[in-house]
Amino acid sequence: MSTVTTEPGAVAPAHAPVSPPPRRGNPWAPTWHGVGLMARIELRRRRPTVKGYVFYGLTFAVTIGICILAAVMDTSELTSVPLELALILVMGVGALIAPSLSATSVNGDSTEGVLAPLQMSHLTAGDIAVGKLLASWCVAVIALLALSPFLVYAFLKSGWHLDELLVTIAAVLLVVLALTAVGLAWSSLAARAVASVALAHLTTGVLLIGTLVLYGVASIAVTDTVTYTDRYIDWEQLSEEEAQALDAAYVSGDYSSLDPADYTCTEHEYTSGVAHTERVAWILLLNPAVMVAETAPVVDPETYIRDGRAAPGLFSGIHTAVSGARVGPFEDDLGNVTQWDECAEIFGTGDGAGAGEEADAQTAEELEAEWALEEQDWQEYERAVATTAPAPWPGVAVCVVLLFGSMALVIQRLRVPYKKLRKGTRVA
Amino acid sequence: MTSPALAPAPVREAIVATGVARRFGSVHAVTDATLTVPAGSVTALIGPNGCGKTTLMLMLSGLLRPDSGTITVAGCDPRTDAAAVRASIGWMPDQLGSWDNLTCLQTLTLMGEAYRIPRATARTRGMELLARVHLTEFAERPARVLSRGQKQRLSLARALVHDPAVLLLDEPANGLDPRSRIELRELVREFAAEGRAVLVSSHVLAELDEMVDDAIFMSQGRTLGDDAAAMVADAKTRYRIGATNPAQLQALLTQYQVAFEPEAGGAIVRVESQDHAAQSLSWIVEHGVAIHQFGPVGSALEQTYMAMNEERR
Ligand SMILES: Nc1ncnc2c1ncn2[C@@H]1O[C@H](COP(=O)(O)OP(=O)(O)O)[C@@H](O)[C@H]1O
Ligand SMILES: [Mg+2]
Repeated sequence: MSTVTTEPGAVAPAHAPVSPPPRRGNPWAPTWHGVGLMARIELRRRRPTVKGYVFYGLTFAVTIGICILAAVMDTSELTSVPLELALILVMGVGALIAPSLSATSVNGDSTEGVLAPLQMSHLTAGDIAVGKLLASWCVAVIALLALSPFLVYAFLKSGWHLDELLVTIAAVLLVVLALTAVGLAWSSLAARAVASVALAHLTTGVLLIGTLVLYGVASIAVTDTVTYTDRYIDWEQLSEEEAQALDAAYVSGDYSSLDPADYTCTEHEYTSGVAHTERVAWILLLNPAVMVAETAPVVDPETYIRDGRAAPGLFSGIHTAVSGARVGPFEDDLGNVTQWDECAEIFGTGDGAGAGEEADAQTAEELEAEWALEEQDWQEYERAVATTAPAPWPGVAVCVVLLFGSMALVIQRLRVPYKKLRKGTRVA
Repeated sequence: MTSPALAPAPVREAIVATGVARRFGSVHAVTDATLTVPAGSVTALIGPNGCGKTTLMLMLSGLLRPDSGTITVAGCDPRTDAAAVRASIGWMPDQLGSWDNLTCLQTLTLMGEAYRIPRATARTRGMELLARVHLTEFAERPARVLSRGQKQRLSLARALVHDPAVLLLDEPANGLDPRSRIELRELVREFAAEGRAVLVSSHVLAELDEMVDDAIFMSQGRTLGDDAAAMVADAKTRYRIGATNPAQLQALLTQYQVAFEPEAGGAIVRVESQDHAAQSLSWIVEHGVAIHQFGPVGSALEQTYMAMNEERR
């Protein structure tokens, strides 16, 4: 063992003096500098290769092509469908790709051995977590930017207002951000990248499709049985002549030759289910896709032309379906009334006793008036459903809770010194 | 030339660890580690695979919390001031990890920025460090193309970006060619000369012999304190004598009651100093024994290591 004794400074080559700021305690909160740097590192590492640029260029060219095609086949009528499709595309791309990236970024880095050196530096757990989140989320933003020429075109034809578009875009980006955060959380929990990617997509699936399934199951649970009563002529008690006379009357529509006394009426009761969807409609509102549709402008199916809007499109369709569930079943379907009464139609009375021609005619008029009233009720119900005030807030709340919950978990898992390690992993 | 900001009060004992223990589930990786590394010196951490060297270094670096025991690094306790501990340490992990798509210079610049060094300064510093580890020509090439040894050197440069007062090098000689090993040895000596405390773990014992001031042996999660130190001191005094006629040599030594270990080609004796060795040699030659070899037995660390005879895990 040699003991080389050299004066301090004698051997050291002249180098740029660096003076990192001193540190105290063990901070975790994200900082602007740290988040920006971490996002920059991640974006540079994921910078596409030449092949990647060619692929993205082609995608962009195809998009522009579709845009030009759509402009050529312009019908000059307002339609919101292209804009809605573009937004759904951005959300689809974002929800598929961004969580895939974030779901490999903590455990993947740890396997590659590039996480621990960053944790040693002045970057806090918050810097690393938020930087990685934003870098993955950028994919959705880039998809949005790539589609922007098409978005501008589609927007001009959509009858939407600019503020409405911005709100819906914000909603789409919020959904993608929340799903990305969930991916990051899985990445900090699972040891292997394959597992965390699968779990991230599973979570997305549960939110998008699972809520629909759950709603379907729950609406069975809130289905009431209602009893309907039908009255009609009892064929089994008719003689042959009477039956023939009745057949003839059905054909001619003239029942006056029939003697009510010959025909006995019978009642038939049956039950049917009516789902009280208003009790479980909130499940639908938790769905992120429904939330995005709920942020879109409400289109009144009767006055949209006067309002300068396009005809109800995809998002209006979703809104109407969800609002239908929220409002619940149409009153008249709620049962316990006689639905159909053949005897009353033919003989003008319930029991077929002492009826004449006048009674018959009067009943027909009354019936018509009743039908008109019913029709009006139904239309009002439909309109009320279509114009129900949108309720995006439950969905927004779900996204915000997922976002902050996931990030808190990730930050907690990234803090060093580690107390516990992910099972089956090493620090380095 | 450490910057004044890094050395507020000159801390003599850069690393002090007492009774440190850590287990992973049922595996006791480190059961009882005690060590001291003074500033401006190089200390080796030696032990078989799986004896807990890496785990100990992780605890010293503030990445892993010990189950028990106390640690002080550069005057700070990782339990309360983990960030300060991490900031004072340059850590070279045994796992090679680099950002494949980034060039060597970008890697060092970004790492410098992560230590809150302004970008321009970090870049200059990065170039200097690349020169120091002989990677200048790779500055603009992606880390992906580096060979194992080159990655190892990049990793060493990365540990130095913030001019740390304490260096923890986990098996830095792994995968290095002979020339690079010698250069590493010189670099490590330079680091110590610059006033840094260096703790280096390695298997390449012959290399360590020449560069370390002190050695800590570890076995099955325990540091072997004074026993091992005594063995190293003893091993350093062992000289091998090769005689053309071994029997004649052994007879002479027996006659004058000199303690020796007989060997096929001669004997091994203990000498206290270089002067003593010189006197001994001329004394033997004067007695007419033909000597063809006379010198230290070999790496003192290696001898101690082999003598410990511990099982590998
Ligand atoms: N994260 C971990 N989980 C479980 N066991 C571990 C972990 N890290 C290390 N070990 C075990 O602890 C022991 C010491 O490991 P390590 O410190 O890496 O040894 P060395 O670096 O001396 O070769 C080994 O038996 C190893 O298997
Ligand atoms: Mg090791």
